[in-house]
Amino acid sequence: MMTLRFTFAIYFPLALCPIVLAETPVDFVRDIQPIFKTSCIECHNARKHKAGLRLDNRLDAMHGGETGISIIPGHSKDSLLMKRIRGEGDDDRMPVKKPPLTDQQTALVARWIDEGAPWPEAADGQIATNEVHWAYVKPVRPALPSVKHATWVRNEIDAFVAARLEKEGLELSPEASRENLIRRVSLDLIGLPPTMAELDAFLKDTSPNAYEKVIDRLLASPHYGERWARPWLDLARYADSNGFEKDRIRSMWPFRDWVINALNNNLGFDQFTIRQIAGDLLPHATKDDKIATGFHRNTTINEEGGVDPEEYRYYAVVDRVNTTAAVWLGTTLGCSQCHNHKYDPFTMKDYYRLTAFFNSSTDETTKGGGTDPYDISSKITVDSPEAIAIQTELDQLKKDLQSQLTAATSKATSQPARDKIAEVQKRLDKARKFSTSLVMVELPKPRETHLHVRGGFLSLGEKVEPNVPASLPRLPATQPAASTRNRLDLAKWLISTENPLTARVTLNRFWECYFGSGLVETSEDFGTQGSPPTHPELLDWLAVEFMDRHWDMKAMHKKIVMSGTYRQSSDASASLIEKDPSNKLLGRGPRFRLEAELLRDQALAVSGLLSRTRGGPSVFPSQPAGVWNSPYSGDQWIESPGEGRYRRGIYTFMKRSSPYPMFTTFDATSRESICTRRPRTDTPLQALTTLNDPAFIQPAAALARVVLREGGTTISEKITFAFRRVLIRNPEPSEIERLTALYQRELEQYQHDPKSAAVMADSGLGAPPVTLSAPELAAWTVVSNVLLNLDETLTKG
Amino acid sequence: MAWATRPCFLKAIMINRGESLKALTRRQLFQRCTTGMGAIALASLLNDDVLAATPTGAMDALSARQPHFPGKAKRIIYMHMAGAPSQLDLFDYKPKLVEFNGKDVPAELIKNERFAFIKGTPKCLATPHTFSKHGQSGAEISNLLPHLSTMVDDVCFVKSMHTDHFNHAPAQLFVHTGSQLQGRPSMGSWLTYGLGTPNKDLPGFVVLTSGGVAPDGGTALWGNGFLPSVYQGTQFRSQGDPVLFVSNPNGISPQVRRESLDALGDLNRLHLAQSHDPEIATRIAQYELAYRMQTTVPELMEIAKEPKEIHEMYGTEPGKTSFANNCLLARRLVERGVRFIQLYHWGWDTHGTGTGDDLTTGLPRRCHETDQASTALLKDLKQRGLLEDTLVVWGGEFGRTPMNEARGGSKFLGRDHHPHCFTIWMAGGGIKPGISHGSTDELGYHVAEQGVHVHDLQATILHCMGLDHTKLTYRFQGRDFRLTDVHGKVVEKILA
Repeated sequence: MMTLRFTFAIYFPLALCPIVLAETPVDFVRDIQPIFKTSCIECHNARKHKAGLRLDNRLDAMHGGETGISIIPGHSKDSLLMKRIRGEGDDDRMPVKKPPLTDQQTALVARWIDEGAPWPEAADGQIATNEVHWAYVKPVRPALPSVKHATWVRNEIDAFVAARLEKEGLELSPEASRENLIRRVSLDLIGLPPTMAELDAFLKDTSPNAYEKVIDRLLASPHYGERWARPWLDLARYADSNGFEKDRIRSMWPFRDWVINALNNNLGFDQFTIRQIAGDLLPHATKDDKIATGFHRNTTINEEGGVDPEEYRYYAVVDRVNTTAAVWLGTTLGCSQCHNHKYDPFTMKDYYRLTAFFNSSTDETTKGGGTDPYDISSKITVDSPEAIAIQTELDQLKKDLQSQLTAATSKATSQPARDKIAEVQKRLDKARKFSTSLVMVELPKPRETHLHVRGGFLSLGEKVEPNVPASLPRLPATQPAASTRNRLDLAKWLISTENPLTARVTLNRFWECYFGSGLVETSEDFGTQGSPPTHPELLDWLAVEFMDRHWDMKAMHKKIVMSGTYRQSSDASASLIEKDPSNKLLGRGPRFRLEAELLRDQALAVSGLLSRTRGGPSVFPSQPAGVWNSPYSGDQWIESPGEGRYRRGIYTFMKRSSPYPMFTTFDATSRESICTRRPRTDTPLQALTTLNDPAFIQPAAALARVVLREGGTTISEKITFAFRRVLIRNPEPSEIERLTALYQRELEQYQHDPKSAAVMADSGLGAPPVTLSAPELAAWTVVSNVLLNLDETLTKG
Repeated sequence: MAWATRPCFLKAIMINRGESLKALTRRQLFQRCTTGMGAIALASLLNDDVLAATPTGAMDALSARQPHFPGKAKRIIYMHMAGAPSQLDLFDYKPKLVEFNGKDVPAELIKNERFAFIKGTPKCLATPHTFSKHGQSGAEISNLLPHLSTMVDDVCFVKSMHTDHFNHAPAQLFVHTGSQLQGRPSMGSWLTYGLGTPNKDLPGFVVLTSGGVAPDGGTALWGNGFLPSVYQGTQFRSQGDPVLFVSNPNGISPQVRRESLDALGDLNRLHLAQSHDPEIATRIAQYELAYRMQTTVPELMEIAKEPKEIHEMYGTEPGKTSFANNCLLARRLVERGVRFIQLYHWGWDTHGTGTGDDLTTGLPRRCHETDQASTALLKDLKQRGLLEDTLVVWGGEFGRTPMNEARGGSKFLGRDHHPHCFTIWMAGGGIKPGISHGSTDELGYHVAEQGVHVHDLQATILHCMGLDHTKLTYRFQGRDFRLTDVHGKVVEKILA
């Protein structure tokens, strides 16, 4: 029968026998599928589905695309497919990139729809799907490869790296010098260079586990949390202001401190995840659990007059979805906000199902018009260390007054004490103003979530229930009914050992911090468009190890820095650089410029200015006048008094509309949205900053004072002293020689110019002790300024 | 220089200088070429991930590159009037509004409309200013712009602009980055990414602000978004250092700086010889460039040396922060080859809540602050032959309502935010002079003909610079991004 019909069609062209056709039902396989194949499938298939429409299988074709159902069986006139084929309405006629359908073809498709659009099951062959992308397959622990040079292998990591190098005919580089190693590992684990005492202790320690002892000390240091919170806060888009035009200040530092403390306490990455995504939904949630949910309250808020609060709430929810996908899944899910993902297996429906998890929090996006700017709903009160200190002081003063009164002094004599109490009370009130943190709070009744056609916030499509992307492992069968699923279910799924992505993505980020580039270079994109891993088995080994060790972050850091791969010298022969310019094969140690915050921290540390105070509201280091300047805001940058201006960069106040200029010059972002990977640029503005910014001149001047006080007697001794503090190694004779020449030359200049010498000797630190010579201080400041600007100083090598 | 005469040291330095060249790989040398084959090859690789893969190659990233096709404009001065000037009181005269003045606006126009401040049914408002026709083109503009009226034959008015956003920050971001949310690269960043910049002693993308406060959108307006930060707009400040930290600290003379840079360079070269990392060579070069900027930037900012007639023409007063000074600086930047110069003048948000922001006092004040200088800039560029290949754009982020806002019963005349239509003007490189494009309906509520969306404007600006807006892309988080998102059509009718 089939054959007969087919033959018939060929011998009697359609146009010539309309009567016969009108009576013969359209055959999908014979008449329609060929049209779809030649004219439509190219843009509407499994990999590429323009406007969300697929015509390669029945289910998707009937479901339609972003603008709605395209085929209404029995109603060709109302079917969008026909309108587009005919070119009716404002949209382009389909197909766009090919000749339009002939009249006969158009008539056939219309008749097929009018006849009920039958699509036989046998013809429902989807275009064969490619094999599943590696990142969506659960990692299994690979066997360690055999290595010819067994001496290269210090731990499992090295087996994978060495095997690959051997395959390429390359070698591991020799181990870095001890000085080099302790500087590298200190900068990596705590973000600060070693002190001279720490350096000397390590150099003297001849025990075989001397290096391991250093690592254990660093991992136990409270500065470890400060260092590793830095990249995490980029992911969390943490800031101290709301963003947009008003950009009012918000109190959010308790969240920042929560991250630092969680890392220091080595909270497992599973719990670290659960608390931040859904700490508020835990049974018996503590105050800390709630503060952790600030992760997703770091979204921006537009408080401009006339803003539709629902619009910006929608943007915040979308941001939470995109950020969650990027941080835990290494997935660029944002594409599916408007259409099915072009390259990765995520549909628009997946996107809004995920959105449903985040759509039921109470956050209001604006409270404009004269209300307290700090009072944006759903916050929690926490006393800062400062407030606690002032409270203690106040209690003491009150006690003192009490005893004064009992000692029966007159009212007049107690007046100064009363004044003092009033003043301290004022300070306490001020400190308490910055004692809240925004948190997630779930509405009693969840909001309904719908698809948003082309991502528009007003154009609602079909209703969806909370769920995880269909192409990834399902939620456990024991999950509650769809309508009652919440963020806690999502959080648990993210850190389920069935999830193929979370452990790999997280370990890859760690790797990126150490080596400058991840094993997957596109650390934000593990999809088919991302770069493939350079060492896939190593990545899987690390991921499985991480999960098997119950998501122990410190253990994984230790594993990496203990490896021979990490301990290699970063010096390389010109031929190795020629063969592997970006060190993808890991045949040498890492060498790259330090990140913004660390550059400043390092300068403060080596000069002795650094304040090691931790936690509390953000601080205001010195910054040129006029950088903070936004409409409708009376907020002012008032330099923090005392040590406040010398605290670590992680505590610097982060105002989104005018971030600290030194940081952005060195590639930090303004934290309006997630920053998955900072670029590393090298610009003249950076040179101007480290040469001339008071944030670097003050450390230079401070170092000069230390040199004169403690640096020995001869110039050569002093140079060695300063050099060692900054670069954590002894200078070569040629280096001493060059710096001596500079010192002598500048000393001579400043001796002839006492005015400049006095200015340099001060450099904003205040007048130096009279025992120190101003010209000498000035000349040492110039030398220190050079030391702080050396490529080797700016670089982790 | 006693040290330099010591032979052993001198030898070390010389050897190391030789080594530094060897340390560059062929690939890197190729990328570092600033002229000739290297530059051409680099241009062809522009959409590749080469730039992203070598994020430290700042110099290469800013090298002048070939456009997609020869563009008429080589550089842009974009004058953004932050707050949104009223098109109805400056460019788009509506006799019908006179007839309807004080009457309720037709209900069908405001059905389902959202306003920033207007509540209830507002009343139509005729302009309190007079309009007259000027030049051969007969352009009809307000008496508030007496200077511009002398140059209308050089200008193209686009009266049918429209946008998607009606709050300042999102709308400003939309104009400059193509998105209402923060975090996308701005137009100047896209252009310097696409074309590099001819003068490497100055940043390729410079921002100047006036009017008392920064624009509502903040520094995100000239942010590099996901592009490398070399493409970030550099704000030249009128107080303190024009470029942050361009001056030596007090107590460091230019000579001390030179000598310390010499020592720094020598020590860096010693280290390069040992580690062979070519990034060290790049850093040495960046420090030298920084040193040159320490001379070129202050020189550029010294407008006091301009002749008297120039100061009279612009209305400049050296040492002050003013739009006029910024206009003159814009010309000086253009002369030095800077690719994109962005001027912001704040204060056009004429709601009519008082004399500061009403149509009869506030608006004339803003016009007075800007009209003479922006016109002088056009004239000055023209007399120097620079207008031919410099594109000048003037405009706000949205328009203003044909209705009186009357917030809280205010007696002052004012207009609310209006995204449906507004006017901008363009002149110079690639733009047809002496024309008016598009129109609005009788009440000036909607575009009537030839609407130009913000993305169309962006496509057209890139076109004038020789760039196809659909091809200037950057891959970020798995997607190729463009200034115009997935929209934008070049407005062919206004092209010269």
